Amino acid sequence: MTSLTKSILILLFMSTTLFAESDSGITIPYVDFPMKEGKGMYSTKGKCNMCHSFGYVINQGLQSKKFWREKVIKMIVIFKAPIKSEEDIETVTNYLFEHYGNGELE
Amino acid sequence: MERRDFFKKAIAVAGSAAIGGTAAEAGETVHPVDNRKVSDIAFPQKRPLITYSDRPPLLETPREVFTSALTPNDLFFVRWHMPMIPTYINPRTFFININGLVENEIKISLEELKTAFEQVELTAVLQCGGNSRTAFKPTASGIQWGVGAMGCARWKGVRLKDVLKKAGLKNEAAWISFNGEDKAVYNETANFVRELKLEDLNDDIILAYEMNGEELPYLNGYPLRLIIPGLYSDSWIKMISNITVTKEKQKLHFMDHAYRVPDNECECETPENLVQKTKPIEEMNVNSIIGYPSTGSKVRNASDLIVRGVAFDGGHGIKKVQISIDGGKIWEDARLDDGTQGRYAYRSFTYTFKPKKSGKLTIMCKATNEKGEEQPFAKDIKWNHGGYKYNGIDEVTIEVV
Repeated sequence: MTSLTKSILILLFMSTTLFAESDSGITIPYVDFPMKEGKGMYSTKGKCNMCHSFGYVINQGLQSKKFWREKVIKMIVIFKAPIKSEEDIETVTNYLFEHYGNGELE
Repeated sequence: MERRDFFKKAIAVAGSAAIGGTAAEAGETVHPVDNRKVSDIAFPQKRPLITYSDRPPLLETPREVFTSALTPNDLFFVRWHMPMIPTYINPRTFFININGLVENEIKISLEELKTAFEQVELTAVLQCGGNSRTAFKPTASGIQWGVGAMGCARWKGVRLKDVLKKAGLKNEAAWISFNGEDKAVYNETANFVRELKLEDLNDDIILAYEMNGEELPYLNGYPLRLIIPGLYSDSWIKMISNITVTKEKQKLHFMDHAYRVPDNECECETPENLVQKTKPIEEMNVNSIIGYPSTGSKVRNASDLIVRGVAFDGGHGIKKVQISIDGGKIWEDARLDDGTQGRYAYRSFTYTFKPKKSGKLTIMCKATNEKGEEQPFAKDIKWNHGGYKYNGIDEVTIEVV
């Protein structure tokens, strides 16, 4: 590649980034919030991360089993999360409490 | 248990205001978590911020930014409720709809807002009701913010009152609800809708299209957001596209259950005895934050140190900010800026002194407003289940070398 073509390409690249402001909208980056490995991780991932990042979950702080259970139920009742069975509620609650719990049942 | 019974019970639990908190005993309120690192990933139109979530974006401003009276747009905190945010809005085809109990249901374009209405500007603090939530023990429900879920900007737009007047309010109009363009993943999920009592409408409530002289960043609500100076930001709807006027208050989760505190004098409760009667968080408590130095800073002994920070309240105005370097026994007045940005804005302050001996030194700041309300010590702030309205005396601990 000649140095001229190189400079033209660089200029082209620069101008696209310059114009790529609010006129063409934005792209929200993906940020990874790794989940702790354990029983129920995949089930929890499927049910919670469908709607929001796992960051939204773990930034509630370490919480009691009752807290996590009520959060899961809130997601179902208020926010209409399609978690249907009590077994699924148990799985998610147990996973969250096991890995993001404060040791208190209530 | 029958499935139906189970869900009935579930609704009873989720429907009560008593969500969150644990049965552990309320502990002493502490200083919020400090000095969290910014992320290496910058969000669009932003510099790297403390990042709690990408979907929805939840970004906190680092303490160091609170040295100036205006918060730059690219450092301004971000909080959305719904994860699906439009990533492109065409300003030429964007409309805000005004409907419900009005004479004429209308759509107003951005262009019309900018040309057919009186343009107003004001400076106001935008602060999440849960700012500094990490102060509360046991851990209160919600995002575990440090001190930076706030910012102050100069907003330009039009009065909500003028827009409503254009549509013409009907006699029985009593409530105004606001909805933005953010959506949940499932259609069945209710939108983040907030309401205002018509009697609380005032000239300072505006629909803003400009922030610090620029278009709003997408993540702060481009192209239009509601500004309600003096109140916590729970009703400052972003990407606002619909206003509905009603006679009755609607049943809305985000009004009836979220952003509420106990309806008692101390606005407090205990985890084992949650207060049933609640009220909206509304007016901001008097507050102040030290922007410089921050905890861990090293400064020279016997050399001028300029402490900088910001103070604000719910609109009564800041009377004084005081600094203590002896654990809160002696308080000396900081110098406040001229206050020309108005009663809803940050008052920036400075306090200059020479540290006298080497070692660790704690610097505290305390604001008092024109009503005489002053910030309490963190330990004297009582718990509430949502971890709202924290305004403890701020402190940083530096090292004098």
